[in-house]
Amino acid sequence: MSAVLGTAAVALGLAAAILGMATLAIGLRRHDPGMLRTGQRYVWLVLAGAVLATVAMQYALLSHDFSLKYVADNHSRSTPLLYTVTTMWSALEGSILLWALVLAGYIAVMARHFRNRATDPMVAWATLVALGVAAFFFGLMAGPSNPFRLVAGAIPLDGPGPNPLLQNHPLVAFHPPMLYLGYVGFTIPFAFALAALITGRLGEGWLVETRRWTLFAWGFLTVGIVLGAWWSYEVLGWGGYWAWDPVENASFLPWLTATAYVHSVMVQERRAMLRVWNLSLLVATFSLTILGTFLTRSGVLDSVHAFTESAIGPAILAFFGVVVAVSIALIGWRGDKLRSPGSIDAPVSREAAFLANNVAFAAFAFVVLLGTLFPLLVEATNGDQLSVGAPYFNRMTAPIGFTLLFLMAVAPALPWRKAAAETLHHRLIGPAWAGTLTVVACVAFGLRGLGPLLAFGLAAFAGAAALRQLGLSVRAARRGGEPVWRALLGRSNGGMVVHLGVVLVAVGFAASSSYGHRAQFRLAPGESASLAGHSVTYLSTTVEEKSNKRTTSAQVRVDGGKVYAPALHQFPFGSQAIGSPSVRTGPFSDVYLTLVVPPDAAGVAVIGVNVQPMIVWLWIGGTVMGFGTFLAAWPGRRRRPAAPGSEPAVAEPDATRPEPAAVPS
Amino acid sequence: MRTVSRRLAWGMLALVLAGALAVGSRGESGPPTEDQRVQRIASVVRCPTCRGLSAAQSDAPSAEAIRDEVRRRVQEGETDAQIKGYLVSRYGEDILLQPKSRVVWALPVIGGAAAVGGLVFVLRRRRVKPGPTVSDADEALVARAMRAKS
Repeated sequence: MSAVLGTAAVALGLAAAILGMATLAIGLRRHDPGMLRTGQRYVWLVLAGAVLATVAMQYALLSHDFSLKYVADNHSRSTPLLYTVTTMWSALEGSILLWALVLAGYIAVMARHFRNRATDPMVAWATLVALGVAAFFFGLMAGPSNPFRLVAGAIPLDGPGPNPLLQNHPLVAFHPPMLYLGYVGFTIPFAFALAALITGRLGEGWLVETRRWTLFAWGFLTVGIVLGAWWSYEVLGWGGYWAWDPVENASFLPWLTATAYVHSVMVQERRAMLRVWNLSLLVATFSLTILGTFLTRSGVLDSVHAFTESAIGPAILAFFGVVVAVSIALIGWRGDKLRSPGSIDAPVSREAAFLANNVAFAAFAFVVLLGTLFPLLVEATNGDQLSVGAPYFNRMTAPIGFTLLFLMAVAPALPWRKAAAETLHHRLIGPAWAGTLTVVACVAFGLRGLGPLLAFGLAAFAGAAALRQLGLSVRAARRGGEPVWRALLGRSNGGMVVHLGVVLVAVGFAASSSYGHRAQFRLAPGESASLAGHSVTYLSTTVEEKSNKRTTSAQVRVDGGKVYAPALHQFPFGSQAIGSPSVRTGPFSDVYLTLVVPPDAAGVAVIGVNVQPMIVWLWIGGTVMGFGTFLAAWPGRRRRPAAPGSEPAVAEPDATRPEPAAVPS
Repeated sequence: MRTVSRRLAWGMLALVLAGALAVGSRGESGPPTEDQRVQRIASVVRCPTCRGLSAAQSDAPSAEAIRDEVRRRVQEGETDAQIKGYLVSRYGEDILLQPKSRVVWALPVIGGAAAVGGLVFVLRRRRVKPGPTVSDADEALVARAMRAKS
C-alpha cells in the first residue's frame, strides 16, 4: 500500500513539475497572464506529491512494511521510534526524498510570497527554473533512486536497521534537515538570478527581494554545519569535530561562496557594482550544493569508479554540468547589461574591502575544492591512490583564515568610496590595541606558537571592532529615544553579532587545534592517570542490553568529581563496536573520554583521554551566529536599491544611471 | 590628531605586536623529543582503517600499530623521511595525508598570487584618474571653514 501511494505521489510531483514548467513556458512565450497564473498553481500539486510521498514513507517505516526495499535495507523492528522516523533520511533514496520535500516546500512559500506578482515574467521564469530543479529530483526518485522500489523475492521479516552511527544520538533528527533547509534554500535566489539574466532585468530589485531568502538559507546552513561538527565531536568518538572529510567539505564549500555572496550583495545594492561577482557567487553556491550531493551520494568517494555502478552518480553529475553550462552561457550573453555604472574610487574603501573579501573566500573555496577533488581526479586519470588530509587543508587555509579575520575587523570601519586616514585611525586604533594587548596577555600567560597567537590577536581585533559598532548603535538608539534592544536589529547590527559568533568559533578552533593533548591509559579498577592537569580514575564497567544494541560502559571519575561513562555499543548486524564518548565540558577545556578496549580477563581496560581547550566556544559561537542571522533578517530601514530595474517596466530598463543611495552610511 | 602623532601611535602598536609575536613564536629550544617526533610523523600519516583520520588521532588498533612501529623506528634512529618511506612501501602512497605531488601544493599558491595580483591591479587602476582642478578661492574657503570648525 505504501509503495503504491508513494510511487503515485512521486509520479504526481514529477508530472506537476513538468506540466508547470510547460504551462509557464507557453504563458511566457504568448505573454498570457492567465497561463502564468495557472502555471503557479502546479506548485501546489508538486508540494502535494512531496508530502504524500513522505507520508507514505513514514507509514511504511512505522508499520514495519518490509516489502519496500528501502525499509528492508534500513529499518529494523527493534529500532526506537525517533530513529525509525529519521531512517527516512538515513540512506540515499530517502535523503533524495527529503530534498524533494524541502524543495517543494520552499517553492510553495515562494509562490505564496510572490502571489501578487504571479503575472510578472521575472517571477514566472524563477518559478520555471525552480520547478526544473524539482523535476530533476522527482525524476531521480522515479528512476535510479526510487525509495518505493519493492523487494525482489521473499519479503523479509526483519531488517538490519539504520547505520549504527545514525541511531546513536537524537541529533540525527536535526542535523540533516537543518543542512537541507540551508542547501535547498539557495535554489530560490538562484532561480531568481537566472530569471533576472533571462529577462534582462538586471537592476538590483531582484537582489533586494531575495535577500531574506539568502540570509535564511545561509543561517540554516551555518547551524547545520555547526551541528554536524558537534555531532562529530559528541557522537562519533574520534575526539575532534572537523576532519576536512569530503562529506564535511561538501557542506562547507557552498557555505564559503554563500558567505561571500551575502557580503558582496551589499556593494551591489548600494553602488550597483560587482554584479558579475554576485551572479557568479550565487551560481557557484547552488552548483556546489549539487556537486556536494554528487560527492556524498554517488559512491565516488569509496572509489572513483564506484560512481558509475548506479545511475545516480552520472545523473547528478550531468545535472551539475547543465546548471554550470547554462549559467555561464546566460552570464556571458547578458555581459553588456552587467557592466556597472560605478567603480572603485580608492583602494582603502569598503567596496575594495568587500572585493578583497570575495577574492579571499573564492581562494578558500578553491583550495577546499582542489583538496577534495584531487584524489578523485588522480585516481580517475592514472589509477594512483593518494590522500589529501587535514594537514594540507589546515596549512593552506590558515593564511586565508587570517586574512578573513583581518577584513572582518577592518571592513565595517571603512567608509564607502574613500577613507580618510583620520577616520580610519579613529575607528581602528581601539580595536587594534585590543588585539595587540590580547597577544601580549597570551604570551605572558605562557601560550606559544605563531599561528594560534596570530589567530587570538586577530580575533580580538575583529571582536572589539564588532563590539564598537554595536556600542555606537546602542548609543544612537538611546539618543533617538528608542529601546536598547532595537539597536541590535537589522542587517548591519545583526551582522556584527554574527561576526562576534565567528570570533568565538575562530578562538575555539585555534585553541583546540594547537593546544590539545591526548593519550591512552591501561587502567585496572581503581587506578588513576593524569593528563594536562586533569586526573581520571577508572572505577568499573557495566553491560546493558537495550532493544537495538548491547552497551558496555566504563565509569570514570574526572578530577575527583563527577563520574562519566564512555561506552562501546554492539549492534546485532554491525561488525565493529561503535564507541560513544563521554565529555566533561568546561568553559576553558573539555575532558573527552573514550572506552578504547573493554576490560579483559584481568579487568584492565584501556581508556582514551583527550583534553582540548575552548571547545565549548565553538558551539556558543555557532549559536551566536544563528541568533545574529535572526537579528539580521529582522525588517529594518529599507534602502532603496541603486537601480531598481526589476520593476515591471514598459520600456526595456537600462541600469546605467544609478540613483543615489537613499540612506547614508 | 596630527599625522605625526597618528604615525607614532600605530608605530608603537606595531612594535609591541611584533615583539609579542616574536617572543611567542620562539618554540622550545633543542631537538624534538621522541614523543614529539612520533606525534609529528603520526599526524601526517593516515589511519589505514578509518577514512580521513590521522594515525595520531585515531584510537583504532591499526593506528596504534602504526604509532608503535613509528616509535620503534624513531628509537632505532631512523630519520623522518626513512620512516615515511617505509610506511609508503608497506601501505601505499595514500597513507600520507600530505601528498607528495607538487601540483596540489603549487596550484593554490599560484592561484593566490594571481588573485592578489589581480586585486592590486584593479585597485591601482583608479589612482591615475586626475582630480578636478581647484581654484585658490576654493582653497581659501575650505581653510576658513576648517579653522572655524576646530
